[in-house]
Amino acid sequence: MLSLPETRFDFCGDEYIFAQITNDMSAESNFKAIAITNELRRRNIPGIIEIYPANASYLVRYDPEALSPFSLLDYLKEIDITKSDESELNMKCKIVEIPIWYDDPVTKEYSIRFNERNKEITESNFDFVMKLNGFKDKDRFIDAHSKVPHLITMLGFTPGTAWTYPLGIPREEIIRAPKYTSPRTQTPKLAIGIGGAFSVIYPTQSPGSYQLIGMSAVPVYEHQQRLEAFKDSIFLASPGDLWKYRTIDESEYRSITKEVEDGTYRYKMKDVHFSAEEYIRKEEKYLSELMEDF
Amino acid sequence: MINVIEPGFIATIQDGGRNGYYHLGVPPCGAADKLSFQIGNLLLGNPPFSAGLEITLTGPTVVFEKSTVIVVTGAPANVTLNGKQMAMWEVFKVKKGDALSISYSTKAVGVFTYMCVSGGITVPEILGSRSTYTLGDFGGFLSRKLEKGDAIPISEPLPGAFNRVGKSVEAPYIPRFSKKVDVHAVMGISGNEISDEGITKFLNNEWEVNLESNRVAYRFDGETIPYKDYEPPFGSGNSAGGVVDFAYPIGAILVPNTEEVIVLLNDATVGGGFVMAGTVISPDLSFLAQARPGSSVRFHAVTVQQATQLRLEQKKQLNDLVEQLQ
Repeated sequence: MLSLPETRFDFCGDEYIFAQITNDMSAESNFKAIAITNELRRRNIPGIIEIYPANASYLVRYDPEALSPFSLLDYLKEIDITKSDESELNMKCKIVEIPIWYDDPVTKEYSIRFNERNKEITESNFDFVMKLNGFKDKDRFIDAHSKVPHLITMLGFTPGTAWTYPLGIPREEIIRAPKYTSPRTQTPKLAIGIGGAFSVIYPTQSPGSYQLIGMSAVPVYEHQQRLEAFKDSIFLASPGDLWKYRTIDESEYRSITKEVEDGTYRYKMKDVHFSAEEYIRKEEKYLSELMEDF
Repeated sequence: MINVIEPGFIATIQDGGRNGYYHLGVPPCGAADKLSFQIGNLLLGNPPFSAGLEITLTGPTVVFEKSTVIVVTGAPANVTLNGKQMAMWEVFKVKKGDALSISYSTKAVGVFTYMCVSGGITVPEILGSRSTYTLGDFGGFLSRKLEKGDAIPISEPLPGAFNRVGKSVEAPYIPRFSKKVDVHAVMGISGNEISDEGITKFLNNEWEVNLESNRVAYRFDGETIPYKDYEPPFGSGNSAGGVVDFAYPIGAILVPNTEEVIVLLNDATVGGGFVMAGTVISPDLSFLAQARPGSSVRFHAVTVQQATQLRLEQKKQLNDLVEQLQ
């Protein structure tokens, strides 16, 4: 059994039930959120409108005229119990490589420009997060961020934004950052930021409150569906997918963005079966097996 | 087609909204005041959520390229056809070349006025809806508010449409527009983060709608809401009022800091890490959306049973109206 406490359920208004698996973040909480919501989706219950796995919780929207809130609550509690066993937490997913130009001039410029909204920070967000996490050397910090696969734990905020959470390292090694005290009014499109224990790529120019550390060379949301990777879905990420960040320099950044513009870019991708049970048992070793030929 | 002569402040195409994509970060969008919007469509004999024009505060002026029937509902506005005053909540005919203007009313209450047309506006559906989603850059007419020179496609008038001319609604079916708005909310979730004193102050005080309000969220000023002295959990970013990012319901009452309250509406940012005090019930989101900046809002706690009851009452009223309009 997973070592998770009992899920806490709440009614939100007349149309939503919120289930909090844990109040803190862990990969196990997210595996359970994904497993429960996958199961619920599979059952195709009339009256359920939205099924939304989140980092350590999930949200269900229903039509109370079709489905009694109390019956649904009991029903969710039952599924919750069956999915508290890690052998139930297997999923199909894909591994995707995301090339990142860390410490680039654009996010550096934004981070300095918006620093008055960011506690008493005067340096760039990249330098701030690097030092806060005990790194003195830029390359070591980049290596720590990019060496482990990140689990897509949730989508949201704006279309295509994915929260990604590092796997295979102990909690104390996870790179962390506080969010801005007051959100930036602008974030450059495709900037990557860190907030809490999560890294996100901003799909479009938008507000934001995560500390910016670099720029993705590739899009994560494309509603015109030009690139091959977006033929089936306008979103690159799906909950349970793994993203592997790869550090690139300016010239590679320029050549990849050119390919993206030309519509010829092919993401490095691999379909896998992810077993949460094996991950929980073997952690790093399982991940290196999974990532072996990637 | 409808040709836009003057766009006004913000006019967008909306319908009942899009479902099924929330977990991918796509909010429902759709008419902010679904009650007024539905009444407009019901008056015309349309399906209740046929796409129409949602007008924020003032504007536009449009010219019709064909004869059809329309109705204007929602927040009080000054409606003229070729310069002649027209009643709201009453179906009327427009001919080819007629110019319809919708502008500020001296009543100065409410935010959203709706123009519904027989058969609806027929821009293409995206992800199952015609609603404009400006932040996501899709839906509606070119994913944006109307601009001068836009030509908006509309349906041919539905069979029997012209027989609806003169159909109207009166009190009690017309929603009340006021500078004092009451809404109901199911409280919860915040047990670990907001103090009991904070919840009491939230419920016992009036909240003024801030100017920085839009279809994404309304912001409110009022009392301070103290947090509990709690340890921010791992993964939250370790600041007061932070929780591990989660999915917000539409209607979520967020307390991002002790001085501010935010309620998410149909174009909500779909998830984040602010503490949530409760959720405004769905039938009352229409009333909340019509609370103009400067108005005061009171939040009243209800149970989920009471919330469902209030929902069914609103629905019954709409059903009665449909029968009356037969």
